[in-house]
Amino acid sequence: MRRFFVALMMLMGATPALADCPLDLGRGTGWVVFSDHYMIAFRPDPVRVEVGEPFALVLNVCTKGGDPAELIAVEAQMPEHKHSMNYKAAIVASPNGRYRAEGLVFHMPGRWEISFDVRAGEESERLSHDIILK
Amino acid sequence: MIRLLLALVLAATAATATGASAQPLLDWTEEEVRSIGRHGPWPPPPVRDPSNRVSGTPSGILLGEHLFNEPRLSGNGKMSCATCHQAGRDWSDGLARAQGVVELDRRTPSLWNVGYSHWFGWDGAGDSLWAQSIRPLLDAREMNGGTERVGTLLRNDRALACGYEKAFGRKPGNDDELLLVDTAKALAAFQATFVSPRTPFDDFRDALLAGDRGAAARYPMSAQRGLRLFIGNASCNACHFGPRFTNGEFGDIGIPFFVRPGEVDSGRLGGLTRLAESPFSLLGKFNDDATGENARRTRHVRRLHTNFGEFRVPGLRQVGRGGPYMHNGSVATLEDVVKHYSEVNPDRLHSDGVPLVRPLALSPDQSADLVAFLRSLDADVPPRPAAPPLCP
Repeated sequence: MRRFFVALMMLMGATPALADCPLDLGRGTGWVVFSDHYMIAFRPDPVRVEVGEPFALVLNVCTKGGDPAELIAVEAQMPEHKHSMNYKAAIVASPNGRYRAEGLVFHMPGRWEISFDVRAGEESERLSHDIILK
Repeated sequence: MIRLLLALVLAATAATATGASAQPLLDWTEEEVRSIGRHGPWPPPPVRDPSNRVSGTPSGILLGEHLFNEPRLSGNGKMSCATCHQAGRDWSDGLARAQGVVELDRRTPSLWNVGYSHWFGWDGAGDSLWAQSIRPLLDAREMNGGTERVGTLLRNDRALACGYEKAFGRKPGNDDELLLVDTAKALAAFQATFVSPRTPFDDFRDALLAGDRGAAARYPMSAQRGLRLFIGNASCNACHFGPRFTNGEFGDIGIPFFVRPGEVDSGRLGGLTRLAESPFSLLGKFNDDATGENARRTRHVRRLHTNFGEFRVPGLRQVGRGGPYMHNGSVATLEDVVKHYSEVNPDRLHSDGVPLVRPLALSPDQSADLVAFLRSLDADVPPRPAAPPLCP
């Protein structure tokens, strides 16, 4: 998992275009996912995700064009088994522009696909990211 | 003649040496060692439940032990928690179906390591051990005690009243509902001390992680092969995960839903309904944790149609000492449990993706190995001394 944590820092260094979007969520750890229009930086809290233990995600959502973006939903599923979490994440917007998705639990080891529904104006999109939990 | 004897001794020595050098230890991969490591260490630190003000306190535990064995909590004055959760039967009763005032539809679950759980009961209708402990006290089919009976007993019995005051720092008052909850909290404090002893598996796991091949090799080969299956091809550890060998969640493993013609046990689906309706859940006023942190699962859990027919994944420590098995006691022996997973009907299980439960088609040797591994999760338990008096 530590490999993913450094991904954020590497990506920030290699992509000057992201400099306008505050992707550093502190602690020097996290992941970044992006599409043609959106960029999302996120990190778990606590940093180490354990099987069966609740955790939150701290997120920052940006558009590449600089328009305001909104996080609509965070969901996760195990694509191999086609089952979702037994828990529904609740999203809270922080005054500092970040989001916190609370109440996630990965109840089994294996590959989990986290999906993020984001919106900017009339445009919405789903971005996703895989993590392997051992 | 002497030469012949010498040759025989040398040959015998050589044979012994050969036997000793052939380590009876499987060639475990790094990935496998990592998986095995996740099933420990054991025992974990003692439980401290922030929702329960007497959790982990000696006076709360002692009061709980007396109440656990107290038949006056039941409607007929004959049944206590210990009637079904017997210390000498690994905190269960050995019956296929629990026997309260009437025979119930589910088996009495063992209470080993129950304090480490986050959902309680076969359907997870309880989100704390104390909330779960209220249910059998009140259920008309089980102890049928009633809220008033509990309050009256605590107020009028001198020893229990004294024990209550020691545990909760106040005399039993007139609020029967509060006394019921406090009774359940003391019961929970006691039950949370039921931590199963270390097992042959734990010794193997620790030796393997420490690189002590000699000590690891003392673990029987059949159990090693069974363990390899458990964490490998059989994927038992997808659900039976972690030091307690359970992820604490729920699954449908192909046990029939019907409890009698025309009536089903909906399992987790019904449990979630009861959780939402309960005044004793962690979202209610009796949660002693002001931060609300420990109610996160309750706040975020969701009711899914797939919850129908799901039941709690039981921990596997002491599993070989228990039985009958499954939530309804429908499987008699550990060998039969393995047979169930080997031959489970895939048509009965609904899955859009790769099914978590599928017929394993185990050979007789593989089945025996898996049973040998499961039995290595058992440990003998020393007899319990009698509880000291509440207020000597």
